[in-house]
Amino acid sequence: MDIIKATNIHRKFGTGDLEAHILKGIDVTVRQGEFVAIMGKSGAGKSTLMYQLSVLDDPTDGTIIINGTDVGTLSESESTAFRLNTLGYVFQNYALVPDLSAEENVMLPLLMRGYTWAESKSMACVAIDGVGLAGKYTNLPAELSGGEQQRISIARAVAGKPKILFADEPTANLDTVSGTQVIDLIADLNRTDKQTVVMVTHEREYAMGCDRIIHMEDGLVTNIEQLK
Amino acid sequence: MRALRIGFLLGFRQIQRANLWTTTLIIFVMMLTFLNLIAVSGILVGLIAGSERAVQEKSLGDIIITPLENEDKILQTETIRRILDTLPEVTSYSLRYQQSMQLTANFKTRRDFNIEPNTIGSQAVGIDPIAENNVTGLSENIVEGEYLNPDESGYILVGALNLDRYTAGFADITGSLTDVYPGDSVRATVNGASREFTVKGIVNAKAGGVASFIYLPEKELRRLSNSASRDADEIAIRLADKSPETALVVKSVLVEQGIDSFAKIRTFQEALPKFITDIKQTFNILGTFIGAVGIIVASITIFIIIFINAISRRQQIGILKGIGIDRKAIEVAYVLQSAFYAITGSLLGVLVTYGILIGYFDRNPIDFPFSDGILVAEPIGTLYRFIILFIITLFAGFIPAWIIVKQNTLNSILGRK
Repeated sequence: MDIIKATNIHRKFGTGDLEAHILKGIDVTVRQGEFVAIMGKSGAGKSTLMYQLSVLDDPTDGTIIINGTDVGTLSESESTAFRLNTLGYVFQNYALVPDLSAEENVMLPLLMRGYTWAESKSMACVAIDGVGLAGKYTNLPAELSGGEQQRISIARAVAGKPKILFADEPTANLDTVSGTQVIDLIADLNRTDKQTVVMVTHEREYAMGCDRIIHMEDGLVTNIEQLK
Repeated sequence: MRALRIGFLLGFRQIQRANLWTTTLIIFVMMLTFLNLIAVSGILVGLIAGSERAVQEKSLGDIIITPLENEDKILQTETIRRILDTLPEVTSYSLRYQQSMQLTANFKTRRDFNIEPNTIGSQAVGIDPIAENNVTGLSENIVEGEYLNPDESGYILVGALNLDRYTAGFADITGSLTDVYPGDSVRATVNGASREFTVKGIVNAKAGGVASFIYLPEKELRRLSNSASRDADEIAIRLADKSPETALVVKSVLVEQGIDSFAKIRTFQEALPKFITDIKQTFNILGTFIGAVGIIVASITIFIIIFINAISRRQQIGILKGIGIDRKAIEVAYVLQSAFYAITGSLLGVLVTYGILIGYFDRNPIDFPFSDGILVAEPIGTLYRFIILFIITLFAGFIPAWIIVKQNTLNSILGRK
């Protein structure tokens, strides 16, 4: 079953002579429980595609249906609620709130979804334990290494059991050891929890654990590599 | 509700983790703003309030009885006196008799009539020294010499504004006595009758005409003016409770007793000179204007602080929106910070105002020519100013947060314009 179905996606920036056509009619589908990597050189449009698929940006043209919802029809507040309830995000710069502890960072979307403080705290602890950082609940982001921060970011993304996890170059700011740990963690979530994952990456070795790799070049999908 | 909960968590943690010195500085600015709002107008109003207080304590008393329109004297003074004696609220009262008087100082030494006489025309007030002292504390205003002794005769007190050395030249129009000191002999002339008195003391006070009169025992004034009438020109009344409300109650009792058909009865507030109430109103407006400028400066300060805070966290705000945090929650976080700065600053301002400044200015009034200025900060006025500052601060915090939060989520995340 397709959890994401994007059809004829175009994304343009600017107007007139300054217009840049970044995505030039892309069709992509992602099946539930699938681990998909998007790869390509810088400027290929892979991050832009992910922003469209993850409802962070609106395509200039085309339709995206996620979990049965045409996300193009959602208002801004509906999009925010949709992202909260359906999607999880891992950004390349970890994107943790520096004033909140690791535990509170993970709790934040759970509280927003309406869980009580105690429920959120309990779920956050389970998620933090799940990324191998038990005992680091009260640490501030500044007190964690880059790899640890990214794992907390993953814990935040998956604590609410999202339908789809989006990871935008999650290893970009990490050393090889930490990067491998993060990729293993994401792959493990896909394997054990059947978590659907869409990941943008530069590194082919990190994409080797995926089910499929979507190769992009100059705003177009040039090849879909089926690994499993 | 959820947005409120998240907003409080984010806002509280931002305050908790913020740089201590920055937070202290912002709170200090808010405290100064609040003080500007309270103290500046409070001191301006206090100049007049000090004057009012002095007039009440040193001149008018809590209630003043004066002749009816078209009457020279208070009718049935003895009847009024008997009624006053029966009222428990009245602790003391003083009957005053007034006459125009000419006072000449160099009448013994002036041999050459081409020399200007050392003389002045003034208003003499005949008093019972003890009763007057009980009502206005006149003896406390003696700046040279001594107060009148009721057992003595032949002594007077001279108001400082009748003397050249106290008027610093501004009495050129009205004239003044030169080189008159306690112990000097002066000649008092009333209605053509003259008598020699010894100056016993000099009276000075920044209250009404206290320093411009000449005081002597009422029996001596009536004898000098050859007046058999016991009807007074003024009766100043001191009450056990000096509040305006009590004064109104006692006034109504006096009216019920029919005194208003013999004389005009006014509370001290009703009897205040119009220029005092006019100046008070003007100073109030001036204080409000200065306060308004203070509020504008404070709101701009808060706006800038929150704007810089929000713009420096623009990417974080974008990410929060990206992971599904309602924009209202983020706005609440910044409004909460503004509220914290406003409440903490204002509370410190209240502590400084009521804990330090009011007591300080009461003990050390500002020395103005026409009054001793104090700091007036009515609690209800302070509350209104706090509410105004609080609401404006909330807006000043909300607007920059709203500007930043409403920006496109992805642009915020990527740092794009």
